[in-house]
Amino acid sequence: MANTIRITATDGTPVAFVDEIIGSGTMKDVYFSPDKSYVVAFFKQKQDGNSKDRLENITGSYKDKIFNQPGGEYWQDLYCWPDKIVEYNGKLGLICPTYQKNFFFAKGSKNDDFLGIKGKEKEGKWFSSAKNQNTFLAPEERGDWFKYFQICIRISRAVRRLHAAGLAHSDLSYKNVLVDPTTGRASIIDIDGLVVPGKYPPDVLGTPDFIAPEVIATLHLAANDPSRKLPCIATDRHALSVMVYMYLLYRHPLRGGKVYDLDSRKDEELSMGSQALFIEHPTNTINRVKLKELQPSQLPQSDPEKIPYTVCGPYLKKLFDRSLIDSLHNPAIRPTAGEWEEALLKTVDLMQPCSNPSCWHKWFVFDNTTKPRCPFCKTEYKGVLPLINLYSSRRAGSFTPDDYRLMVYNNQYLYPWHVNRNISPNEKLTADQKKPVGYFVFHQNKWLLVNQRLHGMEDNTEKKAIPIGQAVELTEGRQILLSKEEGGRLAIIQLVQG
Amino acid sequence: MRGEPIEAIKVGLETMVAALRQDPYALETVHLSMITFNRYPEQILPLTSLEQVQVPAIAQPAAGGTHLGEALEYVCKKVGEEVKKGDREQKGDWMPLLFILCDGRASDGQLFTQILPEVQRSHFGSIIVCLVGNKLQPENAKLLTDKIVHLDTTDGPTFRKFFAWVTVAVCEGNRSLGSTVGEPPLPPPPPEVNTVI
Repeated sequence: MANTIRITATDGTPVAFVDEIIGSGTMKDVYFSPDKSYVVAFFKQKQDGNSKDRLENITGSYKDKIFNQPGGEYWQDLYCWPDKIVEYNGKLGLICPTYQKNFFFAKGSKNDDFLGIKGKEKEGKWFSSAKNQNTFLAPEERGDWFKYFQICIRISRAVRRLHAAGLAHSDLSYKNVLVDPTTGRASIIDIDGLVVPGKYPPDVLGTPDFIAPEVIATLHLAANDPSRKLPCIATDRHALSVMVYMYLLYRHPLRGGKVYDLDSRKDEELSMGSQALFIEHPTNTINRVKLKELQPSQLPQSDPEKIPYTVCGPYLKKLFDRSLIDSLHNPAIRPTAGEWEEALLKTVDLMQPCSNPSCWHKWFVFDNTTKPRCPFCKTEYKGVLPLINLYSSRRAGSFTPDDYRLMVYNNQYLYPWHVNRNISPNEKLTADQKKPVGYFVFHQNKWLLVNQRLHGMEDNTEKKAIPIGQAVELTEGRQILLSKEEGGRLAIIQLVQG
Repeated sequence: MRGEPIEAIKVGLETMVAALRQDPYALETVHLSMITFNRYPEQILPLTSLEQVQVPAIAQPAAGGTHLGEALEYVCKKVGEEVKKGDREQKGDWMPLLFILCDGRASDGQLFTQILPEVQRSHFGSIIVCLVGNKLQPENAKLLTDKIVHLDTTDGPTFRKFFAWVTVAVCEGNRSLGSTVGEPPLPPPPPEVNTVI
C-alpha cells in the first residue's frame, strides 16, 4: 500500500495524495487524493518563473473571470479546471477535480469488454475513429448522432468562452477533451497549457491530427524566428474544426490518398503542413480517399463518396468550406468557436429521427429535398413532414427571414429561442428559458402545434389567437405569430410529402 | 537467457499488448512482430495487427550463441517483406520501431559489422536496444543506436516496468508535441532501467 503524503497548497489549504502514479503524460505525473475527489499533477520538469506565474493566473484570475460570474457554475461541467498549486520536493503541481463519473466507460468494449477498458477514461479518440466505433466499442457506449452534435456544441461553447477571455488552449485534441456519447457531454481537460499571446508562450505544439498547417510548415524554423507560427487562438480554431469534422464523420478531413513524399515522415509533414488539402475539396481532387487503402472495419464512415460532409447540413457545410478550404492556409479568416456553436445549434433544429430502428446514427439532417431520406441507412421518410421557417421583425409590420428552420417531429418541443430572436440557447439562458413553450404532435392524421406557455401566440392566416392549452394545425403556408414581444418570431409552415 | 527471465519476458509482452489495446490510437495503427534468436533467428509472430496479436510461447534456446548479426539480417528481410512501402500512388506504413532485447554480444561479429549499413537503410523510426544481464557488452549496441537502456535484473517487476515504458514509447505518436524543434523525445526510462550512455 502506497503512502499518503500530506502537504499544503500555496493558498494555505491542506492537500493529500497517494504516492503512486495513476497516469503520466508528456508534461506531468498524476496522483489521486485519498478519497479520489481530486488529483495532483506534478510537472516532470522544473517550471520557470513565467510558467509559475501562468499557473497562478490559471488557478486565480483566469478562473475567476470565467467561473465567478453570474451563471459561472455552468462552466463547471465543461472544463476540468485546476484549482490550486502545490510544491513538493522541488516540483510544482496542480490540483484538478476528478473527472465526472460519466466520463469513464461503464461497459467498455464489445464481447464483455474484451479490451478491458471498463472504468477507463472516455478519451475522444475512441469515438472519432470508424474502426474503433465499428470494431471495438460496446453498442451501449456509442450513442447516436444527435449526441455527437451535443458534444460538438459543448466543445465549441467551452472554446468560445476561453477565447472570449483572451486565452488559447493551445493543445485541443481528442486526447484533451473527454466526451460521453451516452449523454452528449464533453469536458475540456489539460487546461494548464493556456496560451496568452505576448505573455505566456505555448509549451506544446499540439497533438498530431490537430496541429494547424502553419505550425507544422514552420517547424523547422528556430523558436525565436519571427516567421515561426506557434499555437494561438487561430490554431485552436483549426483544431476545433478538425474535431467537429471527426466527431460527426469519423475520419480526418486532411488524411487522403495523396503521397507527397516517399519518406513517411516528410509525407506526414507535408500533408498536415504546407500541402494540407481537404479530402473533399470540390475542385482539387488530388487528395481524395482511396477506397482500396481502407480496411473493411473503417467502412462506410471513412468513404466520403458514401457519406459526404454535406450530410451535416447547410450551416455546417458552409463552415467546413470556410475552415477546411478557404482558411486552411489563411488563419486570420478561420471561423470562430462562436460560429461553430451557432451553426451546430441551428443544425440540431434541422434533425429528424430516422424511422429505421436499426439505423446506427438514429438521426439525420434534413437535406432540403422533397424526398427526405436518411443518408446513412437510406431509409426514406414516409408521410407528411412539416418544417417551420422562422422570420423576425426588424421594422414594425414587416418580417424578414432569419435563415433559421425548424424541422418538426412527433413530440418535439418548441423553445423560447425559437420564439424570440433575442434569445440564444447558450449558458446565459435563465431556468425559465430552458423550459419548452409548446410542442408538436402528430394526432389523428394531423400535425399540431400545442401552445403551452405563449401568451401572444396568434394564427396570422386566420387572424385569431391561439390561447394556452390550444393547438393549431400545421398546414401549407400557414403563418403563426409566436410572440408579440420585441424580437418575437413569425413561423411560416411548409409541408414536405415524403 | 533461460528459465525465469524468459517467462518474465512473456508476461511482460502480454502486459504490453493488453495495455496497448486500451489505447484507441494504438488500436488503430499498431502492428507487432516478434523474432527470437540464438544461433538462428525465428519469427514467432509475423507482423500482425494489435487486436489480433496473441503472444506466442517463447521456446528456451536449444543452441548456444547469440547471432545478433544474423538476427538483424533477418529483421531487415522481414521489414522488406512485411512493411508496406509507399510509392507515388499509395501511402506506405509508418516507419517501424525496432526493440532489441539482448546481452549485447554478437557471436557472428563479422556478419554483424557487414549488416550495419543495411540496418541504417531499413529506415527504422527508432532503434532501442535493451541490454539485459550483468555481463554487458554495450559496444555493439552503440553501433546500432544511441538509445540504449540496461536492465540489471531480469525479474518480473523489472520487465513489467520496461514493457510499460515500451508501451508509452509506442503510443508516443499521439502525444502532444513539445514546442522545441526536432522530433519528440522518448519518455525517460523507468527508474529500474539504467541508460548506458
